[in-house]
Amino acid sequence: MHLDLTMKQTVIRRTVRKYAERRLAPAAVEMDKTGLFPQDIAREMAALQYFGLEIPSQYGGAGLDAVSCSIVIEEISRANAAMGLCVTVHNSVSAYPIFSFGTDAQLARFLVPLASGEKIGTFCLTEPNAGSDLSSLETSATRDGNDYVLNGNKIFVSNGSVSGINLILAYSRPDGGEKRFTVFIVESDREGLEKGPVEDLMGMRGNPVCPISLHDCRVPKENHLGGEGDGLKVALSTLNGGRIGIAAQALGIAQASLDVSIKYAKERHQFGRPISQFGTIQNFIADMATRVEASRLLIYRASYMKDKGMNHMKESAMAKVFASEVAVDATRFGVQIHGGYGYTKAYPIERFYRDAKVCEIYEGTSEVQRMVIARSLMMT
Amino acid sequence: MGMNKSYNGVWVFGDYRNYFQNRVTLQLIAKGRDLAHKLDTKVTVVVLGENVHQYAMEYVAHGADDVMVAEDHDLKEYHLEPYADVLFKWVKAFSPEIFLAGATAFGRELFPRLAKRLNTGLSADCVALEVDADTGLLIQTTPAFGGELLAEVITPDQRPQMATVHPGVFQELPHNRDAWGHIIYPEIDTLPEARVEVLRSRRQQAHNINLEDAAVVIVGGRGLGSKEQFRLLFKLADLLEGEVGATRPAILAGWAEEDRLLGQTGKTIKPKLLISVGTSGALQYTTGIQGAETIIAINRDPSAPIFKMADLGLVGDAGTFIPMLLEVLRKRI
Amino acid sequence: MHIVVCIKQVPDVPAIRIDRERMTIIREGVESVINPLDYVALEVALDLCGKEGGWIDVMTMGPPQSEAALREALAFGADRGILLTDSAFAGADTLATSHVLAKAISNLDPLPNLVLCGMQTIDSDTGHVGPQIAEELNLPQVCSVREIHPQGDSLIVKRLSDGFLDTMKVTMPALLTVTHGILPVRDLRLGELETAFSQKDIIRWGIEDLGLAEDEVGLKGSATHVWRLRTPPPRREGELVKGSSQNLIDHFLHKLEALSILDEEDGYE
Repeated sequence: MHLDLTMKQTVIRRTVRKYAERRLAPAAVEMDKTGLFPQDIAREMAALQYFGLEIPSQYGGAGLDAVSCSIVIEEISRANAAMGLCVTVHNSVSAYPIFSFGTDAQLARFLVPLASGEKIGTFCLTEPNAGSDLSSLETSATRDGNDYVLNGNKIFVSNGSVSGINLILAYSRPDGGEKRFTVFIVESDREGLEKGPVEDLMGMRGNPVCPISLHDCRVPKENHLGGEGDGLKVALSTLNGGRIGIAAQALGIAQASLDVSIKYAKERHQFGRPISQFGTIQNFIADMATRVEASRLLIYRASYMKDKGMNHMKESAMAKVFASEVAVDATRFGVQIHGGYGYTKAYPIERFYRDAKVCEIYEGTSEVQRMVIARSLMMT
Repeated sequence: MGMNKSYNGVWVFGDYRNYFQNRVTLQLIAKGRDLAHKLDTKVTVVVLGENVHQYAMEYVAHGADDVMVAEDHDLKEYHLEPYADVLFKWVKAFSPEIFLAGATAFGRELFPRLAKRLNTGLSADCVALEVDADTGLLIQTTPAFGGELLAEVITPDQRPQMATVHPGVFQELPHNRDAWGHIIYPEIDTLPEARVEVLRSRRQQAHNINLEDAAVVIVGGRGLGSKEQFRLLFKLADLLEGEVGATRPAILAGWAEEDRLLGQTGKTIKPKLLISVGTSGALQYTTGIQGAETIIAINRDPSAPIFKMADLGLVGDAGTFIPMLLEVLRKRI
Repeated sequence: MHIVVCIKQVPDVPAIRIDRERMTIIREGVESVINPLDYVALEVALDLCGKEGGWIDVMTMGPPQSEAALREALAFGADRGILLTDSAFAGADTLATSHVLAKAISNLDPLPNLVLCGMQTIDSDTGHVGPQIAEELNLPQVCSVREIHPQGDSLIVKRLSDGFLDTMKVTMPALLTVTHGILPVRDLRLGELETAFSQKDIIRWGIEDLGLAEDEVGLKGSATHVWRLRTPPPRREGELVKGSSQNLIDHFLHKLEALSILDEEDGYE
């Protein structure tokens, strides 16, 4: 058992941190204010291979292992959670599933532009009537000759309005029988794919989340990802990988909160001394730090298991539910430590507070994660 | 310690280029006298060049006991290798106990080379020098970790004990026309060829940037956000009859010339009032300004380190503050 | 062209805290980074090799974890890393450090045309190692270079020295130290880091490989010693004013009046 980062992972961390502090942290303020996606930064990051993290170099990716990947997402999110969301969604639930399940033709056509960042990817899951209850999904894919015709409405698609490639989870009735999940790769410029206005969100502002709807959108069968009816396998595997990324994102937010809270506590004086000397504040910080460390270890373990090809469904769910709740708590205590100033925009902690909440909701709510964990332990 | 009794004298390198602004040799002569007194020895200044007798006289007038001069056409320009060669031979011949130079760019390039040739210790950019009462060793105080700590360095065994000294640390003695000293012209061997050829040496644009003498200095940092914002500082300087300085990040961004640089690799100043705008307060910068009498700092971030050394800290956006301030001042002045 | 770039892994100085009671540096939680000016030296080397063809050795003396700095330099595009590491090397001042580096460089076959160093480090700030390597290897040296143009077997360089902009010609082999601004330092592509670790070589040399004696290196080979550390005189920390721009301006003007830089106005709030 080796509980330390390798030298490579250490150097990756400091490289990303350097870039994140210099470029992403200042941009976060602007993004939060305007809600606009920074195309220039996305282009820069694409050139530095942030959009092909786990993709092998033969497709233009960086070829990193899962632990290194988690480190990258954490460091980006520590500086700029909205960009962290962009990068993790693109990598873990758009590029990676194509890499895992794609045919050679699909790898060449779709994976290469995703890895280079030429196109940004999404995974469209949620619908107006299907959130946690995926079986209620209404987006249909009907076979018609060599094509499938897709109809439906997807909402809350992260990276939506800037994406070039979208994975759509739909259902089909193969042989006219039962409803089966099925995943399609749909290019944004396909006729029949329409994007709605960007959502005005509490946090993660600047990530262009929007609805994507399909009206008789015709896609060739070559765009079908995985075998017919393998949609569930593809979907679950994708969600599994996505969880680790979101956990890493939440960790980045929690770590950022911890960092600014420590800094503030040492500088703020009340009753003649720095508040860092008061027991209450010390307890807040101690708890925050302990739980942040625990999140990190859960994330590394799930990543490590992914690297080793081990089944990590339970561990990913644990990492996600734990890290997201730690982020919400850490930011809440962070604002408390900052007192009145924590409620103003002069300090970043209020943005962290708003950013953190959604981590408990998207890519599987905390309730769903708990269901996954419990089932894996208690189902026969 | 016995072997060191054969080393005697406090030497100072006569760095006379830019003489009227560059007073460091005079400052070192003054300090050298203090050290020499404690060691019961003399201060000798070594001067290399062509037609440098005038400098030798100046150095005597400012307190040198002896001046050793090497007059040669090939020493006219500051050249590393011929200078190192002469100094090496003289040190070997005359065995000084201490050898000081100003931490000018040339001093900082010449002295390490010379120290290596002499296989002796050298400390850089000292901010204090003292003779230890017990050991008689030269205690060389240098900034470490960007100035966060001061390291007291000693050279216990090798000789001479060499140090370059930060300009402006010591106070020169006033010019004394009646001072008396020996000016000697020891022999020098054939000089080695300089392997670095100086094709052109141009004094930098005379912007008459005189940061060291200005009573009011306004310093701009990266927090100003743009060249246009930075340029507003010049208008402020005009109104307050001051000068404009800059931090390294602002210079790298192309908003100001290198001559305006303040800090570790730039100038050290002690104005009456220093206004630091949009600077975070990195140590590499603040070591150049901490001697100012009053410091006012403006920064958006209340936890910026600059506020720890400012008499008055204003938390606000420089981009809004400066234009408004200019408006108000124009009406008053 | 064969270039050797000397780099140093230093603590992230701005993040350092001082334990003022024990007079020590608190290293815990402080990352190690490559000295900022060494990145510039690396970019210069890459630029020259890009124009003239050639290869780059990147060299460092330090504890085993300095390998991380070499790997990072390899990710930038250096060809080979040379790690000079030995417990005997610890505690070295610039004299002993330059001796080890110079010996290692002279061990290379073929010898380099050019040795590049950052002008100074952010931890020791002396700027001595470059010149002292040059002295030991008997190389011509130019410090604080800000522009370099290759010209056959010479280099035309420009540098600012005490208010003079010097244009100089130096014939290789030579040593240059570089200052900020020559070239921008690029951001690393993540894939390059991966290959730097998996595909590039690092040579490790200790005291025996370099044929050095114990009294030539490390603490024993040093002429200077740090006798003790002390804190600089305390800085002042005055009033901190927040609020509206008008409020800030009021305080500013009050201060200027108090210093007699502005005359007091009548009826002024």
